[in-house]
Amino acid sequence: MQRSDLKIVSARWLTWLVTGLLVAALGMAMRVAPMEQSMGQVQRILYIHVSVAWLGLMGFAVMGVCAMLYLLHRNMAWNRWSQAANEVGWLCSSLTLFTGSIWAHAAWGTWWTWDPRLTTSLLLWALYSSCLILRGSIQESHRSARITSSLALLGLIDLPLVIMATRWFRGIHPTSPEMEPVMHFTLLLNVIGFTLFFSLLFLRRLRQLQTDNLLRKLELEALVNHPYPPLSAAGG
Amino acid sequence: MLMVTQFYWMVRKDLVSEYRARQVWPAMLMLGTLVSFLFSAQLDGVVEGRSRIVGMLVWLAIYFAGILAMHRTFAMEQEDDCWDALRLYPVTASWIYLAKFTVNFLTLATLQVVVLGLFVVFSNVPLLDHPLRMLTVALLGNVGLTSVGTLLGGVWTENRQGSTMLAFLTLPLAAPVLLAASEATRLVIDQEGGPLWWRWLSFLVVFSIVFVTAGIVLFELLIED
Repeated sequence: MQRSDLKIVSARWLTWLVTGLLVAALGMAMRVAPMEQSMGQVQRILYIHVSVAWLGLMGFAVMGVCAMLYLLHRNMAWNRWSQAANEVGWLCSSLTLFTGSIWAHAAWGTWWTWDPRLTTSLLLWALYSSCLILRGSIQESHRSARITSSLALLGLIDLPLVIMATRWFRGIHPTSPEMEPVMHFTLLLNVIGFTLFFSLLFLRRLRQLQTDNLLRKLELEALVNHPYPPLSAAGG
Repeated sequence: MLMVTQFYWMVRKDLVSEYRARQVWPAMLMLGTLVSFLFSAQLDGVVEGRSRIVGMLVWLAIYFAGILAMHRTFAMEQEDDCWDALRLYPVTASWIYLAKFTVNFLTLATLQVVVLGLFVVFSNVPLLDHPLRMLTVALLGNVGLTSVGTLLGGVWTENRQGSTMLAFLTLPLAAPVLLAASEATRLVIDQEGGPLWWRWLSFLVVFSIVFVTAGIVLFELLIED
């Protein structure tokens, strides 16, 4: 996808539409959905937690697939996709841990416990963070892309562990609790709302990276065509 | 056959160079000894959950001292452009990975012997009451850690912060091995067998196979200029 193809993501109406949907979903979660009997108001955080957790996993899968495509084609465009997924995915993964911790404090009386699902989620966050730090610590762009893509590909191995953690290992993290139909609908609306919102964020970041790349190219081109600044500009 | 001979010479080169210069092993073993000593000192008086704590501490000591060695295996190739010479050797990058993997495996195995021995003496835990079971866990844990460490070790050879970067990059990937090996070690100490033991063992086997295969396939991508 070229920079011009992504023009639509900066359309104001789309931003308003997606934000409106997200606000409606959050409004349903906070006001319309019935309060859970045993946990009370704090249970409402589940609607956000599940949505961002799903996006954290999705982000890593997108990053891994784009990393694989970069390694196969050596096209920096795929690396930009991978980087955008890395950044947005990291945000979702951090939000998952944050909201999960608030829920855990109310439900289990502790901010953190070494449950398999929590441990593997923390590993996923650590992998996201490692990839982010790696991107910033290597100057040469193709070398940075190559090494980060390899790490992202290796990190994909962690993904089934996070998804299947509650089935493979014994733990206390809830799997699929029973819900009323309104609660189910609210959860679905939140998942859709958050997915659209973060997809928009992802595409905007991608466009930003593409613009940055274009600017660098133009800068280089200008430098090749005019290697020395005119005397007047140099103050002479 | 030719590849196997060349593989042999690459492994021999590293081992002979280590034997002559003694650059990596003494520092690694000293670090392993000190870490084991300090960890064991903190265990004095701990009764409840001792096996679980020892299981984790043993593997942390092995991991931190081992990472130092894995970084040095590649860092020493930077002197006099040895790395470029090694790249010119008529073998594929996968064979270089396997040779480095073998050297790192032997290095980590030596460290494991020392660390496990020290924990038995200082912490007074029955780590070696079932030697065959402990050997299986040690071997599989070694393969898991070495496969990840060798794969990422090649990336940071030229960097000054190489060992720091390697430690924090390896940790998220090696964490499943560390957790599985610690849990399996706890079961060895508690003399528990059964399905749980086999589950952790299968996990270590799967992880080792996946990462050794990934290393063979991806090493070329990581080291290419």
